[in-house]
Amino acid sequence: MTEVRFHREIYRGTAVDEAVKALAAYATFDLAEEKDHWVVRVSAKDARRERRVAGELGNYALGLTVKARGAR
Amino acid sequence: MQGFPDELVAVDLGSAAISMRVDATLYPLDALYGAAYVFLDRCYVLLDRPTPTETRVTLSWKKGEPPEGALRALAGEFANELLSCAWRSKINEENRAMIEAATAQALGGAMGPPSLDDLEKFDFTDEAFEDPLGIAMSWEEKYGKKADGTSATRRGPHKEPK
Repeated sequence: MTEVRFHREIYRGTAVDEAVKALAAYATFDLAEEKDHWVVRVSAKDARRERRVAGELGNYALGLTVKARGAR
Repeated sequence: MQGFPDELVAVDLGSAAISMRVDATLYPLDALYGAAYVFLDRCYVLLDRPTPTETRVTLSWKKGEPPEGALRALAGEFANELLSCAWRSKINEENRAMIEAATAQALGGAMGPPSLDDLEKFDFTDEAFEDPLGIAMSWEEKYGKKADGTSATRRGPHKEPK
């Protein structure tokens, strides 16, 4: 299991949610909230796939956050 | 890592990743977003804020093991891009008022010709402007035939037909 922590001041919660939905077919996601972070636990069939999905999740969430910020 | 301050850059060879600590007071979030966005197609980018004055950038190699020196190059390019974005952000902030004024003027001009109501309110009582060169005169007034059949006087060189 790989844990990805998205800081609330940097990432939009809606962007993280949307990224999880977009990648739902490639791994199992478990979402949790902490005081400063959105926490996503990624589980896939092997470590290599898990690393890749976790990385793509981070990029997807960051891309959507930047896009949303530019559209303000 | 050679060429970078130890307290700012850390390399994790095991996970083929590099972490950089960035001073949040020097580099605004917009600059970080801009720089990170450029690298999304080349590596996995994760931003975090361990302390209120510090942002941590983690760049992970996408496929396989990175070639020799690739992580160092990635860190250097990211640092350069970040500086460029921060500078652009500052220029944009300083020129914001001027850009807004120019945009407002352009939009005002694009609103089209005045309406009849606008013309009705317009003050036409000002005296006509002086026109010593006859520029405001129409072509017919200037060169057209007069009532007696002769043409009006032409200015400039005039050749008689052969």
